[in-house]
Amino acid sequence: MTLRPSYLALLLFATLVLVAAAFHADVAARRHEALAAGAGLRPLTLSLGLADLAVSTEARYTRHPALSDKAVVGMDLPGAIDPFPSTLFFAPPPAP
Amino acid sequence: MTPHPLGRLLNILDYALSSLRRRLLKNLLVFAVFTLVVFLFSSLLLTRGALGDLAGRLLAAAPDITVQQMVAGRQVPIAASACEGLRGIPGVGLCRGRLWGYYFDSENGANYTVIGLPEGPAGQAPASLSHAVEGRLPQPGERGKAVLATAVRQQLGLEGRRFFSLFRPDLELLSFEAVGTFTGSADALVADTILLAEADVRHLFALPEDQNTDLLVDVVNPLEVETIAAKIADRLPGVRVISKERIAKTYRAVFGWRSGITATALLLALSAFVILAWDRASGLSGEEVREVGILKILGWQSGDIILLRFCESLLVSLFAFLSGWLLAWVHVAHFQAALLRPVFLGWSVLRPQFPLLPPLAAADLFLVLAISVVPYLAATAVPAWRAATVPAHSVL
Repeated sequence: MTLRPSYLALLLFATLVLVAAAFHADVAARRHEALAAGAGLRPLTLSLGLADLAVSTEARYTRHPALSDKAVVGMDLPGAIDPFPSTLFFAPPPAP
Repeated sequence: MTPHPLGRLLNILDYALSSLRRRLLKNLLVFAVFTLVVFLFSSLLLTRGALGDLAGRLLAAAPDITVQQMVAGRQVPIAASACEGLRGIPGVGLCRGRLWGYYFDSENGANYTVIGLPEGPAGQAPASLSHAVEGRLPQPGERGKAVLATAVRQQLGLEGRRFFSLFRPDLELLSFEAVGTFTGSADALVADTILLAEADVRHLFALPEDQNTDLLVDVVNPLEVETIAAKIADRLPGVRVISKERIAKTYRAVFGWRSGITATALLLALSAFVILAWDRASGLSGEEVREVGILKILGWQSGDIILLRFCESLLVSLFAFLSGWLLAWVHVAHFQAALLRPVFLGWSVLRPQFPLLPPLAAADLFLVLAISVVPYLAATAVPAWRAATVPAHSVL
């Protein structure tokens, strides 16, 4: 017996939705574990007074966006341009 | 006999699939471009979502208030006595000076963050920190001992060794022994960190005894943080006061979708869909006119032809959306956003390794749907109407 094309398409669509749901469930489970591990890091953040994520370490203002300010990009010398690629990704902090 | 509505819909869907198969190459190209655009834009959104979520989770315990001394627009060390000036402000809890700074390693071009280990209330190293450290912490009063991040250990080339050296500003070489390593789960916070005794940090950066890098202030009532931050700014001249709320606000903006490359990608994605939609909306080919004419001769109504065109667009756009969205999740959650990492790590020598696990946000899903499937379907309305109104005799 051959399936009509519309059934095949609906079957394929349902398979894709199921795969997506299974993948989301897997990520949610891993995220749950990461949440527990993150809670264990609370004393580290508290005692060292950490205010930033160590994502990009190429410049002071991408390593510590919360402790820098908007003007810091041009602070190294008057009229300095910002050469760092990751600043494309990180928006400047909001004005106070 | 009137066919069952579902049967009629399935028949039209069958015909739409055979119609798509007749123009296979063109439709495959549209599908591939559609999937690619959804994949790239969703990857950006998910990476930002994962980083924002990480910041929200890990920085929940960030200091209530950080006070920095500013001179001529730059941060400089703050007087150790500054805490005394805050004693009279009601609601201020513990105020302590913190020592930290950046160390540029000219050997490999890496920037390390060097932080002084604060002593606990009874002059002890904080015992709670031991969960984040394999090995041990420097004991109170113990000099020359360090805790390193794994990436720093690698950059310093300490595979089997424990000792390493750092230069003071006067080029005196200081030797340290690595007695501990931060655990992998702490990488997102301290991937570039060298933790030393406070006295060692002061000696390394040649900081005078009466100065600290900044002040950390605890506030007794969390609701009063902003008020007390304003009072501190009034009381200490030339300081910048960073409250916990401001840190959260910064991270919401830094990883928000309205900024930097994401806004650019959003515009590019929209342009791609406008081009796709334009292709759909622009003119009817002779072949399409002939097809519609024949269908009408066979008894199809205008409504059937509009539904047929709608089914074709829905099939292409929904399958492409689902494929792109799924590929983006695999890219971010499984491959750690390998294509985007070079952008957000930039020229960083130290490459922190931490899992990117985005939360499933309905807002992201609807944003991607709204800029991809919806405009594509909307753009098919006009050509579908034009196709449906082709008179049957036009093919004769």
